[in-house]
Amino acid sequence: MNMNINDTEELILNMGPQHPSMHGLFRMVVHLQGETVTKIEPKIGYLHRGMEKLAESRTYAQFIPYTDRLDYLASPHNNWAYVQTVEKLMGVVVPERAEYLRVIFGELSRIASHIVMIASTALDMAGWSAWSYGFRDRERILDLYEMTAGSRLTVNIMRIGGISAEPPEEFWPALKAFLDDTPEMLEEYYGIFFGNEITQGRLKNVGILSKELAENLSITGPVLRASGVNYDVRKAEPYSIYDRFDFNVPVRTGCDSYDRTIIRMDEIVESIKIIKQAVHDIPEGPIMAKVPKVIKPPAGEVYHRVENPKGELGFYIVSDGTTKPARVRIRPATFINLQMLPIVALGWKIQDVVAIFATLDAVLGEVDK
Amino acid sequence: METLNNLLQTLNNLFLIIAEAIRGLFADPHSVWANLTMDVINFIIVVVIVVLAALILILLERKIAGWTSQRTGPNRLGPRGWFQTIADALKLMGKEDVTPAGADKLIFKIAPMIIFCLPMMTLGVIPFGKGMAPLNLDLGIFYFVAISSISTLAFLMAGWGSNNKYSLLGAMRAVAQMVSYEIPLLFSLLGVVMITQSFNLGVIVEAQSRVPFIVLQPLAFVIFIIAGLAELNRAPFDLVEADQEVVAGPFTEYTGLRWGLFFLGEYGNMTAMAALAATVFLGGWQGPVFLPGYVWIFMKIGIVIFFMMWVRWTFPRIRIDHLMHLAWKVLLPLSILNIFLTGLGIYIYRLVMGG
Amino acid sequence: MENKELLKQQVTELASRVNGELEESFGVLILKVNAPYIIETLTAAKKFADVPCDFLHDLCGLDLGDHFEVVYQLSSLRGQQTLRVKAMLNREDPVVDSVTRLWQGANYLEREAYDMFGIIFKGHPNLKRIYLWDDFEGYPLRKDYVTEPIEVRNITRTRIEGE
Repeated sequence: MNMNINDTEELILNMGPQHPSMHGLFRMVVHLQGETVTKIEPKIGYLHRGMEKLAESRTYAQFIPYTDRLDYLASPHNNWAYVQTVEKLMGVVVPERAEYLRVIFGELSRIASHIVMIASTALDMAGWSAWSYGFRDRERILDLYEMTAGSRLTVNIMRIGGISAEPPEEFWPALKAFLDDTPEMLEEYYGIFFGNEITQGRLKNVGILSKELAENLSITGPVLRASGVNYDVRKAEPYSIYDRFDFNVPVRTGCDSYDRTIIRMDEIVESIKIIKQAVHDIPEGPIMAKVPKVIKPPAGEVYHRVENPKGELGFYIVSDGTTKPARVRIRPATFINLQMLPIVALGWKIQDVVAIFATLDAVLGEVDK
Repeated sequence: METLNNLLQTLNNLFLIIAEAIRGLFADPHSVWANLTMDVINFIIVVVIVVLAALILILLERKIAGWTSQRTGPNRLGPRGWFQTIADALKLMGKEDVTPAGADKLIFKIAPMIIFCLPMMTLGVIPFGKGMAPLNLDLGIFYFVAISSISTLAFLMAGWGSNNKYSLLGAMRAVAQMVSYEIPLLFSLLGVVMITQSFNLGVIVEAQSRVPFIVLQPLAFVIFIIAGLAELNRAPFDLVEADQEVVAGPFTEYTGLRWGLFFLGEYGNMTAMAALAATVFLGGWQGPVFLPGYVWIFMKIGIVIFFMMWVRWTFPRIRIDHLMHLAWKVLLPLSILNIFLTGLGIYIYRLVMGG
Repeated sequence: MENKELLKQQVTELASRVNGELEESFGVLILKVNAPYIIETLTAAKKFADVPCDFLHDLCGLDLGDHFEVVYQLSSLRGQQTLRVKAMLNREDPVVDSVTRLWQGANYLEREAYDMFGIIFKGHPNLKRIYLWDDFEGYPLRKDYVTEPIEVRNITRTRIEGE
């Protein structure tokens, strides 16, 4: 064999689908030169359940629980996207109280999803305490869901025309107590995770995603906003009653992993502002509009999108006038964001690949549908 | 008052009195057979200390983890969870012993045994009381550091013998890390050796009768703790067994009691490193007379171990190039600076005190 | 709205150049073209004066019984314009040009359309199945794809549309 003593062989490492860190069933084939990455091939599809095909044999209302399972960490938002698309098709006007309640649950799910992302990023770097603090705080949000909808994770709380149930008496004091504790909670995260020099060394200037590349790759959500582009569906094409609330859209220009993580803390602060305004302004009234028992939208097609915590979640429904849709297309936010991983992670070490993937905040339910 | 003094003295010298009694059983108290018996008994005591330390520390680690995360640790088995270790040990013994197909059988099997033997060898030179070191070596510190560097070899054997890419990656990281951090470790101890002019740990402890060396050598203590954590592969330097990247590194293919031996070896090494820190910097068995010497040293070891565990559960993991940067560009110059300052201090001291 | 008028003007002009049809559904302009014209259409849409539609939101396939369509949802990060472009494809031979050289983000989306419908994208760097395993037979989202496994097909009746 003609091998020079200075030749090094490339090591091909298979990470996943069973791995303590890959967020869900995700597999990467990584080509390594020593510890430096030369090529990454993500291989997905381990959680593919055929939701788009299933939708063609379910009625419009029967499909709502399926949408919960897309991004299972922020399930009210998925429901909301689907339900609003069908309401747009049918021209249903949702009552005021239901809109405010939808906003409250949506923003609570945004806080929960961002907490999980920050905690999981900490866990991927062995910051065990930061992870357990995050999950402890998320428990309070899950308790609020359980009071109203009966389930903690896949809540199935939106219906075509309104919301499924009125929150009970003990919901409002519990929500107020949670909102009062949030400044202290955020201080703890800054102290134990973001302020730590080791964290900053591992995340700052790692995995640079430039603005032009992000736009070319159709990336949306906090990942895009951390690269300096000010685009949020809630402000660009306001849906529901978001044009009545006063909130900012946090934008950071660092383009690195640290900004992609800390921008979610900024978004938690904004969500808390929105919830406080919604709790203050919520009117009395019905929670469900008058919708016919058998939902038969007119023939047509509509594409509607919302600002999921992970990015832009879009539903494109083609209806042919019957009770079952002809085509339901789910535009998954993280599936498209995932395309940045093979490009951005080249040249970094294997530990950085894990960190960059954590800042993408991929939930495999949404990637694989 | 007199009786209290006498009682405290007896308690202090308890083990020495027992040793004298056992020697007295022989015809010639200093014959070969008497010495041999004493050595065997010393060996058994050291083994018992290592095993007990490992068993207690497993539970203590989980309780301290719970304390930092504001939750209770294991609390189901036994009163407040104190029997958890027994349950863990029984579980590990009951597991199937799997050796990977292409593994190098000899190297694969020997690696955990070596890791477990090392703390027994190193703990033998620590003086647990006045004149109570199981092995009174003049080469104390030198022997300690030399033996603890063999653990690098054991990690490499474990990683290579597993015939697994993850293990190899972890083992390479282990070698790089442990070799780089031995130098600051050694240099930080040199300051103390320069002051006492001896490697013998008993002499070092005696020299701290007025003031412990942590006051005279604070920089060396900090460097020693950091380098010690890196030698032990504990967080924040635990890239070797990073769960999230290389699944358990060199230990991926070990199951059952073999993995248990690695684990116990890690805790034993932690005890040994803490014991060295307590002896060299914190004053060993010295302490106010109301408690016997051997209780003092175990309390000091306990404080150092608590600190090490606390650090583990607080900080995230450091990246490999930051690790190398820290070892070669920060700790090494600082430890050389420490030696220089110590030398300067000794010179000025001699000048001032005369003679 | 100003923006909408400008957009409608430009799209109408583009439609006449590429033999396309213009529709409107729920407030969004839809431009239907035949498959060979798609690259020209999308390049022109990306470079519209004053109202460039330069952000690709989504790319999906659509099975309308007698022909396939590939639907492109376009809008812009710096304006209010939205446009939907549809490419009409033959059912027997669904081939269309890939748009990966206009938007890199179309990479995974086209692979998914290939996986689910069997639409071939000419010029795609890596056209392989993405969700299903590599030797899967058939294209699931087509209307004539039978969902029961082969053992069950002969003993149960097939589904009838509209049940």
